[in-house]
Order: sequence, then C-alpha cells, then structure tokens
Amino acid sequence: MRNQGKQWRIPAFILEALMTKLLPAVLMLLFMLTVHAGYAAEHGKSINLQGGVVSPVVSGQPAGDDFSWSREVRFIRYLIGRDDYRESLFLLEKLEPENSRQLDSLHYLKGWVHYQQKELDRSAEYFLKVSNDSPVYRKSRFFAAYNLAHKGDTPKARGVLERTDTGQGDLYHALQRLQLGGIALLKRDLEQYRLQAADFSGNYHVTATQEQQMVHHYIRLKERRASSPFVAGMLSAAVPGLGKIYAGKPAEGVAGFLYVAALGLTAFDFYRGSGPDSVLFVLSASAAGAFYVGNIVGSVTASRRVNQEFNHEMDQRILFDMHIPLRNAF
Amino acid sequence: MKWINGFYLICIFLCGTLSEGAHAQTEQLMRRADSLFASGNYFESSVAYERVYFESEEPLMRITANLKKAQALKQLREYDRALADLRRSVTFSGKDSLRQEVLYEMAFCAYMDGDPGEAFALLQQFRHRYGQDSGQRVYLLEGLVLNDLRQWDALADHIESWVLNFSGDPEMAEEIAEEQLACYAEILMLKEEQRKPDPEKARLWSTFIPGSGQLYAGEAGWGMLNAFSQLASLGAFAAMAINGYYVAGVFAGLGPFQSFYFGGIRQAGLLAENNKKSRRDETLAAVREFLFSLEEKIDAE
Repeated sequence: MRNQGKQWRIPAFILEALMTKLLPAVLMLLFMLTVHAGYAAEHGKSINLQGGVVSPVVSGQPAGDDFSWSREVRFIRYLIGRDDYRESLFLLEKLEPENSRQLDSLHYLKGWVHYQQKELDRSAEYFLKVSNDSPVYRKSRFFAAYNLAHKGDTPKARGVLERTDTGQGDLYHALQRLQLGGIALLKRDLEQYRLQAADFSGNYHVTATQEQQMVHHYIRLKERRASSPFVAGMLSAAVPGLGKIYAGKPAEGVAGFLYVAALGLTAFDFYRGSGPDSVLFVLSASAAGAFYVGNIVGSVTASRRVNQEFNHEMDQRILFDMHIPLRNAF
Repeated sequence: MKWINGFYLICIFLCGTLSEGAHAQTEQLMRRADSLFASGNYFESSVAYERVYFESEEPLMRITANLKKAQALKQLREYDRALADLRRSVTFSGKDSLRQEVLYEMAFCAYMDGDPGEAFALLQQFRHRYGQDSGQRVYLLEGLVLNDLRQWDALADHIESWVLNFSGDPEMAEEIAEEQLACYAEILMLKEEQRKPDPEKARLWSTFIPGSGQLYAGEAGWGMLNAFSQLASLGAFAAMAINGYYVAGVFAGLGPFQSFYFGGIRQAGLLAENNKKSRRDETLAAVREFLFSLEEKIDAE
C-alpha cells in the first residue's frame, strides 16, 4: 500500500544536475553551432555535421548551385579589387550561369573588367546585356552609354540613355540629363545641348559641378571660331608663313617665312650673277618654289591640325566631366 | 568541475572537427594548384594559389600559397607582381624558414625586375635577421646585386666571406678565397683598363676639330663623315663667295655648315655616352659570369 501511494519523482540531485550542468551545456553547444554556422557561411563554407566543412567549389571549378556561384563571384570581386583583371576574366569565362540573375551578374562583371582594362567597346557590349531586373541595371546602362560615347558612337550612346528609365526628379534623372548634354556637346549639337541643359538643376552635389563645367564647354564651343584651311592657304600664298600665324602657329609661320626667303634670296643671287639659264639658278629657284608650295600646303594642314587639337581637347574635357559623376554616383 | 571539463572537451571537439574540414578543403585546393604548376600551366596555377590564399584562414597555408604563387609568376616573368604579392607576407611571424624564403624571394624578384637598390635593401634586412645563416643562393644573389650597384670593394669582401663560409675544406678555404679574389681583381682590371670615353671630352674635341670627338668615342666612320660634310659645306661657301654669290654662299654654304658643326658636337657626345654604357655593361657581364662560375666551383667542392 505504501508503494501504491508513492508518486514517481525525479531525484533532486538529478534535477539539480540537469538545471545547472546539462542545460547550460546544451545551450552552449547550440550557441557554438550557431556561431560556427555563421562564421562558415561568411567565409563561404557550409556545415555538414557528418564531415565538417564542405565546399561545393573544388579546385577552381565552380559548381552550378547558387551557393558556389556567390562564392566564386566573391573571389572574382576580390581579384578585381586587386586589379587582377586578366585573372578575373579568366574565371568569368569559366562561369556557367543557371538563371537570369546569375547571367546579369556575369555580364555586369565582364563589362566592368573590360571597362577597367579600357576595352570600352567590349565593356559596352556586356553592360548592355544586363537586364532591367538587375540591381545594377542603371549603372550598367550609364556606363555602357559613356563607353559608347567615348568610342565616338554618340547616336547609340544617346539611344541607350534615352531608353533607360530613370524616373523624374531624382539623381538618376539629373545624371541622365548631364550625360545627354555631354553627348550633345560631343556631337557639337548645341541646340540639343540647350534642351538637355534646361533640366540642369544643380540640386545634386554629384552632378552640380559638372553641370557648371558643361556650361563652360558649351560657351567655349559656341564662341570658338574655327580657322579656315582655305584662308590659311591663301594667306601663305600671299606671304609665306602668314597662314600658319593665322592658324595659331606663329613660330612655325616665322620659320617657314625664313626658309622660303633664304631660298628665294639664294635663287635671286644666282639669277643676278649667272642669268636665268644658269643651273645653279634653276636648282635654287626650284628649291625655293618647292618650299613656297610646301609652305602653303603646310598652312592648310596646320589650320586643320589646330582645329583637330581644339576638338580633341574639348572632347576630352567633356568626357571627363561625364565620367566623374558616374564614378561618384555608383 | 567535471562538467566544465566536459564543456571544454565539446568545444575542442567541435573546433577541431570544423577547422579540420576547412583545412582539408584548402589542402585540396593547394594540391590542385600544385598539379597545375607541375603541368606548366603557370597562369592557371597562379590563380589557383591566389584562391588558396583567399580561402584559407591559416597563416601558414596563406604564406605557402603566396610563395608558390610567386614561383608561378616568376615563370611568367612577372617579377613586379610577384614582389607586390610577397609584400603581403612580410609581416608573417610564424615559421622562420618561411620568413627567410619570403625575404629571399622578394630580393630576387626586385633584382630581376631591374631594381638592384630595392634588392640590396631587402638583402640587408635578410642579413640583419638571419646573419650569415643562409644558403649559397643568397650569397650569389647578393654578389649579383653588388655587381649591378658597382660596389666593387664590397663585392670583394663579399666574395671572400662567401668562399670562407662555404668552402668544404677549411684549411684550403683561405687559399681558395685568395685565388678567387685575384681572379676577380684581374677581371675588373682588364675591364677597367678599357678606355671609357667621356661624353664631355668628346664634345670638346668636336668643338675644335671637326670629327675628332667621334674618333675619340671610337666611331671613326662617323667622324670622317662629319668632318667631310663640314669641309664640303665650307668649301661650297668659299667657292660661291669667290664667284661673287655672297647671299647664296651664306644660305647654301654657311647654313648647312652650322648644322653639320653643331650636330657633329652633339653626335660626338651621344656616341661617347653609348660607348661608355656598353663598356660598363661588358664589365658587369664579365663579373656576373665570374660569380656564377664561383658558385659552381663551391658547389663542386
């Protein structure tokens, strides 16, 4: 009867042991597993309770799943950060994307590496393949447009920017206007520039300085009077070297004049002493004539060269001011 | 107390198991990189070693991967990159032999990259840390660096300590050292005896005697051509002046003469500089050859 009335109880010492020893032990074990799992995930390793840490990427060959993909991309980004572009491209070529997100990532990274290597055509090609679902879609479009503009394909660059949805009144919109304004200046389409510049607000520090710079470029282009190769040639025909001075190359002009004058005087000296049939006169007069004609051709070339130099300098300045906001914004 | 011990054991077990797994993984990557290197795929192996460096958490594994990557880059003749990569391991405070290896490889890459000054500074660090406790290759590299820096006296001392440290027979060491020093001095003397034209002197000669600066620089052909050109243009001026063509004489005679005259002075200086450089290079090449033969001799002993 005594046994019937007795209730089964956990002995107090076991209960105490459970509460004070075993429970903390289990909690600590769980805590450690969590910490290890977090650490391993951060360093690209997965936990396998049977075999410890398992890597799906073996010996540089990426496996197809999302985990190994992100791990491989992390390594490639690390290489890009080290300026190891050749190595990055080598690994990117080996990647095999399994979904559109991975494909976008691959295109973006290839575009970026080619951009860093100054291979702008290929860079633009890859950037343009990034779909509009990608978080780097806008960045890719802006950089593609810049690359195309840099390579001289301004119509395509403009098309890319115009087809990029940037929303109204935000930074991307301001950036788009600035880029379109820059492209218009590169094309020397001042009317188109004025249309874009009407939207310059100066509200964003990323674009404000470059908007002002674009205005300076616009004024310089508007006020610039290009030298005429025809006028330069005619001036040099009248007075040797004058065409070069007109084209903005005074030292070349003076040197040209002295050469022609010296040969002319030499020819005159021979003419005065030996007459027009003298071999020395014919030779020196021919040389003087050749230099005279050469000076005219040189003046035409100098005029064209000066125009090209100005245009090249302006293009570089405009491209620079298109580039800076892109690097600051993204 | 026994429970606390239990916790520690669990901790050690978990840490051990998990880090062992990571270690096994990086070792697998390392083996793959090694096989790529062994098969001559140096570029791919350099990427694979970089992956080990990136993935591994163990300093020892990282420094080993870095050193092996440097070997791959050396095979690709990319010494500047190897040097830059090795700089990452300079602060390694583990195994002494690996630290030695890193410093040596850095000095070697700096030397091969055409920067003997940097190589010398790194070798000085090496000597400061490890004293004379180094292999023959360090002595050879230091010799080559001193040669490129034209520190002839320091190189003589270096050769002596090299022979004394590595000669198999200590009794014969001093004798061999003397013999090698005499050989080195003879090479230097022979090369130094070769006249090295001074560009300033060459210019001065050409200022007073046309073509003589080129002759002094060891280029007799150019000297004669220049002298003839000056004489011919002066002759043309004289002939035209005698016949009353004064203006033509000035432009067609004196004009070319001044070009030949001043051009000749400039040319004499340039020829002397080139000649001097090539003779200096010959000296460096001769001493370099001597250092390699010295290494072979000591090895043979």
